[in-house]
Amino acid sequence: MSQDQPILSVEHLTTSFRTDRGIVTAVDDVSFELFRGETLGIVGESGCGKTVTSKSIMRLLPDHLTIYGPTSRIGFDGMNLATVPEPTMREVRGARIAMIFQEPMTSLNPVFRIGWQLDEALKYHTDLDRAQRRERSIEMLRLVEIPNAEKRIDEYPHQLSGGMRQRVMIAMALCCEPDILIADEPTTALDVTIQAQILHLMADLKNRLNTAIMLITHDLGVVAQVCDRLLVMYAGRVIEEGEIRDVFHHPRHPYTKALLDSIPKSGRRERGARLATIPGIVPSLFELPNGCRFEERCSLSEGRCADEEPNLELHGDRRVRCHFPIESGEPTAAKEAN
Amino acid sequence: MLGFLRSRGVRKFRRDRLAMVALTIIASYLTVAVLLLLGLVVDKDETFERVGPNSLVGFLEEPDIEKRLIYLEFYLDEVYSAADGRNPEAELAAIDLYGRVPVSSDPDELIDRIDPLWETYDELIELYEEDEHTEVADFEERLAQLEQEAEALYTEPDGLLGRLALSLGTDRQGRSIFLRALYSIKVAVKIGLVCALVAVILGSILGGAAAFFGGVVDNVIVWLYSTFSAIPSIVLLMVLAAMFLGSKYEGTLVPVYTALCLTYWIAPCRVIRGEVIKLRELEYVQAATAVGYGRGRILLRHILPNTAHLMFINFSLYFIGAIKSEVILSFLNLGVKNEPSWGVMIQQAKQEVISGFFWQIGAATAFMFVLVLAFNILTDALQDAFDPKHV
Repeated sequence: MSQDQPILSVEHLTTSFRTDRGIVTAVDDVSFELFRGETLGIVGESGCGKTVTSKSIMRLLPDHLTIYGPTSRIGFDGMNLATVPEPTMREVRGARIAMIFQEPMTSLNPVFRIGWQLDEALKYHTDLDRAQRRERSIEMLRLVEIPNAEKRIDEYPHQLSGGMRQRVMIAMALCCEPDILIADEPTTALDVTIQAQILHLMADLKNRLNTAIMLITHDLGVVAQVCDRLLVMYAGRVIEEGEIRDVFHHPRHPYTKALLDSIPKSGRRERGARLATIPGIVPSLFELPNGCRFEERCSLSEGRCADEEPNLELHGDRRVRCHFPIESGEPTAAKEAN
Repeated sequence: MLGFLRSRGVRKFRRDRLAMVALTIIASYLTVAVLLLLGLVVDKDETFERVGPNSLVGFLEEPDIEKRLIYLEFYLDEVYSAADGRNPEAELAAIDLYGRVPVSSDPDELIDRIDPLWETYDELIELYEEDEHTEVADFEERLAQLEQEAEALYTEPDGLLGRLALSLGTDRQGRSIFLRALYSIKVAVKIGLVCALVAVILGSILGGAAAFFGGVVDNVIVWLYSTFSAIPSIVLLMVLAAMFLGSKYEGTLVPVYTALCLTYWIAPCRVIRGEVIKLRELEYVQAATAVGYGRGRILLRHILPNTAHLMFINFSLYFIGAIKSEVILSFLNLGVKNEPSWGVMIQQAKQEVISGFFWQIGAATAFMFVLVLAFNILTDALQDAFDPKHV
């Protein structure tokens, strides 16, 4: 899957916010690479920094509250997106890196027809004339499998269902043929059948347009369906990264394993068996422990874990941040943590 | 467009009879205003001497002898002041009244030209005031004779328009009150439209910018409107209008426009700012940023259209508000002077009301009242019909 040159390489991304309670670091020293034609999944619990990571790349965070670390580098097409001036960033957004959001219900402007909104994006980023833009808009709507695109183009967002709206969002995101599509929980607000359709659509479009996709979700089922590579985040840190099958079959970080174990499985269950959960909550970003951030909740922790934070170390083609990574091949049966 | 006309809101609105009446009234006001603004109807002060507090005809047709002489006295006052040039407005009225241009600056000569019968009137009034008319045997006779002479001098208006024009009487200068009240629509609509538009556009842009850009921009704009709104609005209006006294704009619409536009943007600004603070956090705004649009473009093209409902509400509020404020300013002599306006009419009617001649103030008030009421009913009905939360 990986080609030589990554299309996006994030190095030591650290994003902090000024708050009333002091500076808080939501994303801490995150590095990863994204290759053309690849789907990278970023998973983690709420508040682990996955959305902040994606918004940092797009620079969508409020300027006056956000601080990027001095060594942070978001390498894209020879530029460092963490430091390029705003006008350059505007040329990147939409045209080169596009983004779709969680809430299709509110991601479209309610007072304009969807045709207008597609047209606006094309007008801004391309030199097409009015007729060409309309043609292209209809073509994009067809591409995202909206039936009756010629008619639908003149409808308002409230006339479309949630799935339709997310399709329109994808059409808008892809109309300028971006190199990267960042999808921030694109299917969370949709029901399961629509979810599957949207995921297939994205996978299909990725293959056709050779776009790189960064899929942010907390739903491991979604990740399993469409991703090539997986990045697991916890409390602002990357804790594990690897090929999707590898990670799913042989999770090496206890957190990843606990996450996988807590997916409800269909089929027979033992009588009285309860769904495995991870005890405790994510530590507050204001009171991070000295040692491993997962230590308090980890079933495998030992003395050293509480004092010393592990580094993200390369194990083969996997990266794991743990003092005692689970050896590959070790059985993944759930250890009841509670 | 056709789809809109068939939409649920429009159907609901059309079923509302009161709203349709209000709409008809407003449409007719606007038609008059458009005709006047385009100059298709000329709002010259035609004068009639048919009925009115100060016209001679009041004297000619009033049966009660005491009132007849009050009419006559009023009229004579006007003639005097026209003749000696004390009151330039009255002098102009004198020209209009009789279609003659005063050729002489000599008051004695002028007064004969204005009304050759003035001495007879004067004599009769004096007789009456000294209570001698009962003793002068031929008082009634002389009165009747005077009537004939006077009637011979003045022509009656004819035709439907003439009668319509006189349906509400005339003012002291013999101008049709109905027509003046009608012509006042032009000033009212002009002021309403200009001030409400400027207030809403200015308020929206400032409020939107304050909310969207935040920081220093927000601080400056909030400080500005807080300061403005700390001054009682009527005082602010008067001060702003009074700044123009003595300048070449005095008596024109410019002071009124300035005063109203500078005070009326505050409320829409505040409301739109609040709304934009809410809207700017919505996902479609983020989505717009993610498409790469610049911030100004997002504000103007993507956020502000979402506040259109507030703009319409504020526009309708301030359209009415501006018309009412213009009346107040004109009443205080800070507004229009050379054009008919309801405020000017009410101001001029002050002395008449004391003598019991109410129709000028009545007509001006009624014309304004009907417009304001119709507008309020219309906006209320629009709200009922189109508010999505109001099923």
